[in-house]
Amino acid sequence: MVETLAQAVINGLLIGGIYALVSIGVTLIFGVVKIVNFAQGEFVMIGMYISFFLANQFGIDPLVSLLVSMPVLFVIGVLIQHFLIRRVLGPNDMPQIFLTFALSLLLLNLSLMFFTANYRTVHTSYSDEAFHIGGLYIPVAKLIAFVVAMALSGALWLFLRTTDLGKAMRAASQNRDVAMLMGINPNRVFCVALGVALALAGAAGSLLMPFYSAYPFVGQTFVLMAFVAVVLGTLGNVIGALVASLMMGVAESLGIQFVGADSGLLVVFAMLLLTLAFKPNGLGGGRAR
Amino acid sequence: MAFSKLNLLWLAIAAMVLIALPQVVKSSFAVDIFIRILLFSFIGVAWNLMGGYAKQLSLGHAAYFGLGAYTSTILQVNYGISPWIGMVAGGVVAMLASLPIGWLCFRLRGPYFTIATIATAQVLMLIFLKFRDFAWGAEGTTIPNLGSAPLMMQFEGKAAYYYVVLGLLAIGLVITSVIEKSWMGYYLVAIGEDEDAAEAIGVNAPKIKRDIYMISAFLTALAGTFYTQYIYFIDPATAFSFSISIEAALVSIVGGIGTLWGPVIGTVLLETTSALLQSWLGGSVGGIQLTVYSLILMAVILWRPTGLIGVAREAYQRYIRRQPARA
Repeated sequence: MVETLAQAVINGLLIGGIYALVSIGVTLIFGVVKIVNFAQGEFVMIGMYISFFLANQFGIDPLVSLLVSMPVLFVIGVLIQHFLIRRVLGPNDMPQIFLTFALSLLLLNLSLMFFTANYRTVHTSYSDEAFHIGGLYIPVAKLIAFVVAMALSGALWLFLRTTDLGKAMRAASQNRDVAMLMGINPNRVFCVALGVALALAGAAGSLLMPFYSAYPFVGQTFVLMAFVAVVLGTLGNVIGALVASLMMGVAESLGIQFVGADSGLLVVFAMLLLTLAFKPNGLGGGRAR
Repeated sequence: MAFSKLNLLWLAIAAMVLIALPQVVKSSFAVDIFIRILLFSFIGVAWNLMGGYAKQLSLGHAAYFGLGAYTSTILQVNYGISPWIGMVAGGVVAMLASLPIGWLCFRLRGPYFTIATIATAQVLMLIFLKFRDFAWGAEGTTIPNLGSAPLMMQFEGKAAYYYVVLGLLAIGLVITSVIEKSWMGYYLVAIGEDEDAAEAIGVNAPKIKRDIYMISAFLTALAGTFYTQYIYFIDPATAFSFSISIEAALVSIVGGIGTLWGPVIGTVLLETTSALLQSWLGGSVGGIQLTVYSLILMAVILWRPTGLIGVAREAYQRYIRRQPARA
């Protein structure tokens, strides 16, 4: 019993690392640009397809193709901010919500048209390997994904704390108008925020590829998870999103273990609705938007 | 005064054309497209009451569509109660369901309200999928075909279905135009413009939002019953389909958000595009319909956020200005 419980917690933490990459991206964009990116899951999907095609065509390991998917998605993020999102920033919610929502629909259905609904997998030498530690089972691919995800989150945290650009982003997220008065160029900061957030989503995609299938709808689970984690962790808070994502991973895993294999999503939604009912401002308290 | 008489004349002509349409056009394919246009116009009108006027941008209206569909179907299949009664019962169930759902979702504003509404519709779908003894589970059920039974909302030929959904759309439009001109309509627009400012001048925003959500849910549920009767089949994936929530919002935004005729005009454009695509490509390419929809939506948001109605109004204004002033 204790072992089953420990195993479920470990499984949850390992996948929670991936959720964290997606939620940190969502919360970073929300914090800095003040929009919710409904298309974040689709960028995870793009990252997965990039890794799949590089592995399939050139035999490149998904962990190596991280070095391709992250820069590609960074550039896509900058372009999306510069040509699309910049045009809808303003007091009105409708264009912002439905622009990124339309982007999500577009990317999902384009990939349905070009890649079909088939499941694509990549088999690596370490896909089936696992560590066995006292009856516990830790798959190598998931462990690598978790470690890299944590390293990337840590790198982002350092970037936001120590670099001028990172400080400018934090300043813009705290008070956009005052930050502009201090000479921060908002569009440049927003472009970097979108770029970094999408690069994290791309990284999540590449890290998933050794143990997860790519298909057009794959992003939806991740983006829903991220939305819950971002609300739980207080909107715009990077550390909050990280902690909440790990909690979500564990909650989902416990749900699958003790309620039933098909109840993972139900647990997630139940958590979202419970959060809204009792802690709409996140576990850390904080101010509602 | 002459202006409103002119409007009434146009309305009468449009009504006569719409009533005559299925008598003139006999192609069952064409009538099917007309029914889809009227149905989604009606769903759009129901969405627009809350999403358009009060700017509460829900992407979870499939919840009420599904509740309406399941209520009438359970009453009909298990208890033999006519879907005409079931339709109203479904509307009441949806109205009651909108109270707790609204209580939850209205705690959030803007994009997070939208996300919460998505979640509630998905939870309802999962509930109907998971609890099999409750309502047939994932495989759904077919509606027993009684042939021609108008009292059970079953008709021979598609023309009768056309008139039913035309009637629903007319009800939706009348309700919208009454609300639009009442104090409630102004309150809704005030909430949509700036909720805090509206509350500051004494608008009871939570109550107004709750009431309009109930009306919107009721109407959406009627569409659910109609659709199930029309296709003789129900399962959680079609009744609570996310694409219904999407289309309800899309037709309103593309046509003109927060306007009486916006959802109708948006549906005519989107459904016609979809029908043309299907006849060109034979419906073989998955994803093409929503690809085109999302491109249209992006174009509208980036260039004409007031929708097609806004475009038409601008053109009309330019036309008026170009007319030489009469002596």
